[in-house]
Amino acid sequence: MTRRPKILIVDDKPENLVAIETVLRDLDVELIRAYSGNEALRATLHHDFALALLDIQMPEMDGYELAGILREEERTARLPFIFISAVYTDNLNIFKGYERGAFSFITKPFQPEILINKVKFFISIYEQEAALSDLNEELKQKNEDLEAFTYSVSHDLRAPLRAVHSYAMILMEDHEKELSTECMRLTGNITRNAERMASLIESLLEFSRLGKQSIKARAVDVNLLIQEALEVIQATVKKLPEFRIQQDMPCANGDRELLKQVFVNLLSNAIKYSGKKDMPVVEAGAKREGSEVIYHIRDNGSGFDMQYMNKLFGVFSRLHRDTEYEGIGIGLAIVQRIVTRSGGRVWAEGAIDQGATFYVALPAADD
Amino acid sequence: MDTTVHGVEILLVEDNEHDAELTMRALKRNNLANGLLHLRDGAEALDFIFGEGSFAGHAVEQRLRVIVLDINMPRVSGLEVLKRLKADERTCHIPVVVLTSTKDDPIMKHCYELGVNSYVVKPVAFDAFFKEISALGFFWMIVNQVDKAQ
Repeated sequence: MTRRPKILIVDDKPENLVAIETVLRDLDVELIRAYSGNEALRATLHHDFALALLDIQMPEMDGYELAGILREEERTARLPFIFISAVYTDNLNIFKGYERGAFSFITKPFQPEILINKVKFFISIYEQEAALSDLNEELKQKNEDLEAFTYSVSHDLRAPLRAVHSYAMILMEDHEKELSTECMRLTGNITRNAERMASLIESLLEFSRLGKQSIKARAVDVNLLIQEALEVIQATVKKLPEFRIQQDMPCANGDRELLKQVFVNLLSNAIKYSGKKDMPVVEAGAKREGSEVIYHIRDNGSGFDMQYMNKLFGVFSRLHRDTEYEGIGIGLAIVQRIVTRSGGRVWAEGAIDQGATFYVALPAADD
Repeated sequence: MDTTVHGVEILLVEDNEHDAELTMRALKRNNLANGLLHLRDGAEALDFIFGEGSFAGHAVEQRLRVIVLDINMPRVSGLEVLKRLKADERTCHIPVVVLTSTKDDPIMKHCYELGVNSYVVKPVAFDAFFKEISALGFFWMIVNQVDKAQ
């Protein structure tokens, strides 16, 4: 960082400003003078200050009044002050808005070291904050770049993939007689892989869209949501388990459509991974804990090894081979993304062949 | 370029030759491609429709039953073509179907604001693509009635 922190010094007497400048001359800072409260306010429009040194006794607008106005303004609300006063006053109550930002007092005549130390302290805080906000900005930018990259890559992959899939399909449909059985088998492998790649791309696009979509949070009746999710799933599943759904689960705060996706994904998973049991059971329940509601979806299926828990929620990361359970490994990544963006948490418990339980903690809706 | 094209009913504007081939194949299967002309970008399309450039002398096209328009194309994009067609009283009545890979909300919104008649996203899988193009062809070439008074 190459910015020199700027300090606003306000005093109606030029000799006092010169004195401050002399004391602070060795610090790597830029000092901006103002001879009155009004001049100080104007200066804040043109500069981003790290600190303000304010004389208290000034004609027209005194230091407290000036500080009060600065606290009211968005731009300067967090600006720290050092009040410089000839008399020690403890009438802090005069200064309204002191609770919003840091400030300090120094009495005249002051020891140069004391002023230098106080200024250094505030400047170091300012620099840390600036570094942090730069880093945040950089991170935000990188995230946006990554989103844009994911989106355009997956988007641009679709056209060539359509060509691959289509030409292979045309070979099989229109030239079946000319192709040997082995050629048909190989071409079939091409189309199946193209289809898989198409679902990977669609998932990636969906995942990337989730990052951009805004969350419209309101109270959501999760009981209804689970009913709706089950209706969606039942249309596509052949073997249904026994459902044990708790009645009167507490409401959560979140985006209805996105939360529905969460429960569709969790319930589909529970049904899928318990599908090979003789008596598959899928449970859903919830309890309120503090300001959160913790929902759980439990199945008695194939479960998982707890040491791979962190891999459950990764994009395209799976704990099973395709031949065991179909899937591409995006469902739980989407669940985690939605829940995190809704201000909640997800985690899971399980053991191999002993079933799995997925927990979703969401902000509770106010009753 | 051929300036004596007559009887064009479907104008397909698509820069990707494979997408164009597959689209035409689906239409041909349904005997819907007899009056089809394929052009490769927005500039060619505008020249053809307004009788400019390499189509100078060709009358302004007003009898097209449908224009099937890709969005991302070199030189002049589908959005620019759409904008110009809908802004011109000689061509604003021609149905325009945007056929694109993108489900991008802002682009879709923009197309509808410009007055697109239909917005269709190309599926990746061939069977889905084939069905969609067939349905689109049947609707615009057979079901839909165009304003003959033009």
